[in-house]
Amino acid sequence: MIDNITYDGSVRGHRRAEHRLRARVRTVAEAYALLAPSLAGFLLFLVAPIFGVAALSLFDWNLMGAPSFVGLDNYRELAADPEVWRAVLNTIYYVVLNIPAQTVLALLLALALNRRMRGGKALRVVFVLPWMAMPVALGIIWSWVFDPRYGVVNQVLGTVGIDGPNWLTDPAWAMPVIASVNVWQYTGYTMLILLAGLQAIPHTLYEAAAIDGTTPVQRFFTITLPLLRPSLFFVLVTNTIGSFQIFDTVFVMTQGGPGGATDVLNFHIYQQGFQLFRSGYASALAMVLFALILLVTAAQFLYFRKRTVYDFS
Amino acid sequence: MKRTPITRIALYLVLFAGAVVSVAPYLMTLNSAFKEPAQVLTTPAWQPAFPVTFDNFAQVWSEYDMAGFLLHSLIYAGVVTAGQVVFSTMAAYAFGRMSFPGRDALFWGYLATMMVPQIVTLVPLFLIMREFGLIDTYLGLILPTAFGTPYGIFLVRQYFRTIPRDLESAARIDGAGTLTVLVRVLLPLSRPILATLATITFITTWNTLLWPLIVTNGDATRVVTLGISALKGQYSSQYHLILAAAALALLPLIVIFLLFQRHIVRSIALTGLK
Repeated sequence: MIDNITYDGSVRGHRRAEHRLRARVRTVAEAYALLAPSLAGFLLFLVAPIFGVAALSLFDWNLMGAPSFVGLDNYRELAADPEVWRAVLNTIYYVVLNIPAQTVLALLLALALNRRMRGGKALRVVFVLPWMAMPVALGIIWSWVFDPRYGVVNQVLGTVGIDGPNWLTDPAWAMPVIASVNVWQYTGYTMLILLAGLQAIPHTLYEAAAIDGTTPVQRFFTITLPLLRPSLFFVLVTNTIGSFQIFDTVFVMTQGGPGGATDVLNFHIYQQGFQLFRSGYASALAMVLFALILLVTAAQFLYFRKRTVYDFS
Repeated sequence: MKRTPITRIALYLVLFAGAVVSVAPYLMTLNSAFKEPAQVLTTPAWQPAFPVTFDNFAQVWSEYDMAGFLLHSLIYAGVVTAGQVVFSTMAAYAFGRMSFPGRDALFWGYLATMMVPQIVTLVPLFLIMREFGLIDTYLGLILPTAFGTPYGIFLVRQYFRTIPRDLESAARIDGAGTLTVLVRVLLPLSRPILATLATITFITTWNTLLWPLIVTNGDATRVVTLGISALKGQYSSQYHLILAAAALALLPLIVIFLLFQRHIVRSIALTGLK
């Protein structure tokens, strides 16, 4: 209390510093208090498992008894396992069926919607409707749509005299059918992100280019595509990461069949880890999937970094 | 740009075809779920149900625990959504509006984990839950995502940073503490983003298959994704039943989507612009 009536500068300064320090300590304490629940969840359920899986991949453990350390044996085994290579190739095949089709379709729709038009807003909502569907329910619906006898697809093909294949039991067709679920589900979502990117391109650029006598096709390749690259990059990276993790539709529609034709990495990991209880081996496989995703993402970053025009606003 | 009537018509045709393809699977499913079992197989999917019957729904409702599946999913998705909104908001305030040692490193750590595929964490996560004795319990089901995901925190933090700091300073001068500022000043302004986060979290959790498949195995915790995929495994050719079940599983999503479609459409459009 005495300090309050002391007009000596040094004491006052000292008080002020102490006050500031106390306020700072309180802010930091408050910040960590606000952060505490999310941080606890983050460390326990995300960070610990990530380190845990790397450690587990060096053990042989059927979830009973004691785990035994085997070094890199799991990795040696998976490198020599033809089923693993098939699963890797199947996963890549799925991504390749998926991403280009979805991106090109989305881009075409976005270009068509990128103008003032009646019903444009309602159309956007309609195109995003597939995005929220439950993949498990879609798996059921697609199994019906592609049923060789009772499905819509073969009924339609029948009306024009084509005898449709047994889609999901035909090794050549099963994967494209599964990929079509994902293309259907995410094209509208991708379209919306690309549309936002298109709308951010200044209109004056097109007007100037039109005055210079360019054709619409030239304008697409010299203005639209280069300036859309940040949005394209975003959808390609995030959709590719998502596609590598395909599981639900395979689980519902084919269980990896016929004859392993749709046995993708995620499904293979699930079987090894939770049906055969080979937790160490499944962990090593999970590390392989993670590495594969990192590799592809890094490649996309390198490719786009060279060619992307950033920051045009 | 000049447009001839022909290109305009072509554009509308493309968009119309896209719209039809987007809604057709939903409509055909609903339509067939109202058909009599024999008609599901003998009439084309686009032919309207006549006579309309509710028997398929009644059957999945009474012979299978469809009500239970839906209720369990509602509990799962409801609690996770509540936790996500509350804890993401708290963390987002700390990351977006306060300064403390370790903030940037931690935030980058959160962002980095968004690259990690979900399956990577599943084996250890299962072991953690087994260690705590939480296999086949709601706690085990809910805990991993109930404390706020990096995605949720990122979304809210970005939004908080667009709110002017002056509003907050004014409240501070009036003697408001951190919690008061957050609840009274920031939250009322953040309703759109919180609605978006809640909607997206609910939809994602409702649709989740893999984690419930691993951590639960009993009737009391069976969520709708597990329930209907088991039905499909058992009655793969009884389309009248499994389509009715699929329609029931999709219905809550469609209601929520139509209620919040404005928020959803805007938030998706924004995700690419960051």
